[in-house]
Amino acid sequence: MRKFPLMIAASMMCISAGSLFALAQQAPAQHPMSFFVTSAGPGHGGNLSGLAGADAHCQQLAAAVGAGSKTWHAYLSTQARPGQPAINARDRIGQGPWYNAKGDMIAQDVAHLHGDTLELARLGNNITKLTDLTEKGQVVPGLYDGIDPNDHFYSYMLSHPYSNHHETLTGSMPDGTAFTDTADHTCNNWTSEEDGNPPILRQNKGAQAQVGMSDRNGGGNGSWNSAHGTTGCSQDALARTHGMGLYYCFAIN
Amino acid sequence: MNKSVLLAVTFVPFFMGSLFAVAAQAPQHPMSFFVTSTPIGRGGDLGGLAGADAHCQQLATAAGAGNKTWHAYLSTQARPGVPAVNARDRIGVGPWYNAKSQPISDNLAELHGDTLLLAQRGSNLFKQSALTEQGKVVNGAGDSPTIHDMLTGTQPDGRAYSDNADHTCNNWTSSGPGSAQVGHSDRSGGGNTSWNSAHATRGCSQQDLVGTGGAGLFYCFAVN
Repeated sequence: MRKFPLMIAASMMCISAGSLFALAQQAPAQHPMSFFVTSAGPGHGGNLSGLAGADAHCQQLAAAVGAGSKTWHAYLSTQARPGQPAINARDRIGQGPWYNAKGDMIAQDVAHLHGDTLELARLGNNITKLTDLTEKGQVVPGLYDGIDPNDHFYSYMLSHPYSNHHETLTGSMPDGTAFTDTADHTCNNWTSEEDGNPPILRQNKGAQAQVGMSDRNGGGNGSWNSAHGTTGCSQDALARTHGMGLYYCFAIN
Repeated sequence: MNKSVLLAVTFVPFFMGSLFAVAAQAPQHPMSFFVTSTPIGRGGDLGGLAGADAHCQQLATAAGAGNKTWHAYLSTQARPGVPAVNARDRIGVGPWYNAKSQPISDNLAELHGDTLLLAQRGSNLFKQSALTEQGKVVNGAGDSPTIHDMLTGTQPDGRAYSDNADHTCNNWTSSGPGSAQVGHSDRSGGGNTSWNSAHATRGCSQQDLVGTGGAGLFYCFAVN
């Protein structure tokens, strides 16, 4: 959309290649933010007060940085319950393209974001540690950042903002859809802050949430939206694997 | 971990068997993957695949891993009478581990994302795991200088290009005209997160490689 008038200008007014390049270079800064990682969670672990609460938190953080004119949704799935169908995170975030607080494109569309074809999936989207910014434009610290023996305790993480905070709640499978099995992958549809049973990664049969890696490092595969589960849904449980209860927010308009 | 071993040594010298068991639990997978710590230095002229493999072997030997057979992760394009060579067919079957015994990938299918699910998830190759043979992290996007461009000459599926354009600096013999496809060892930049096929270089001289965020480095895998 934005390129079209530039192209007309180029052909009609015979702007030199150099000037056109300069215009193109300025273009990214014109894209308003439509994607961010929450700079802080609501503070109740995986209990986000459901999707509505999570969306409201996105909206509040966006409004605090002057981006409240858009409608913001959390990138979270919920699982099916009797009489309630599942909700897929990928169906909640509009059409794209999405840009971070610095105007970098995150993905062109839903298919690009999730790698809907083998070709797209192999190349990947543009979510990296350096583009995966908070609404304040800050990098979320990742694997081996501020490494410390206590960096998996919530109280330590809270007082050390530069320690690893890369685990990002999604409750989603790699394709952006909800899980269909009977295990919990969404902290009971984002209402639970129970600990796990047992509270051990990959053995937990209780409350937990699927997380992605905002820095694309670690977790066995570096997936941005579906690397593994958690040891529970309390803040302490999320912290055990370097999570703070952060999640992705997308503008749907 | 270290403390408990120390305690065992100090207070329980009798249980050598137990101590050995503790030591054996430490991940001790020999290195079978690394990023070259230094380039050959002649841009895209690596002396062909043979020269690139020799460079891998030499660096591995210097790091005490010369007992394995090392191949460069590089494709070459077809020439009259000479078929193409696919990088993915040169690196054994895995699993591969870095200099710190951390897993890179279990097998060729995971490394290359041969199914949609595998491709969407990705492998364990990322900035903090794609280490040199000396166990060091390679400078990526945001670091200075950025040297994350890894020569591969390869499509995302690990195979050689089949068109007429140059994607391999003339099968790794040119340090002048031509171009090479590169991946990003930190999987950042170029609008995608590809480790093996992010973009093309602007030329094949050492200076050209530096100009797009590289140094002429490449991936080496142990085939055995």
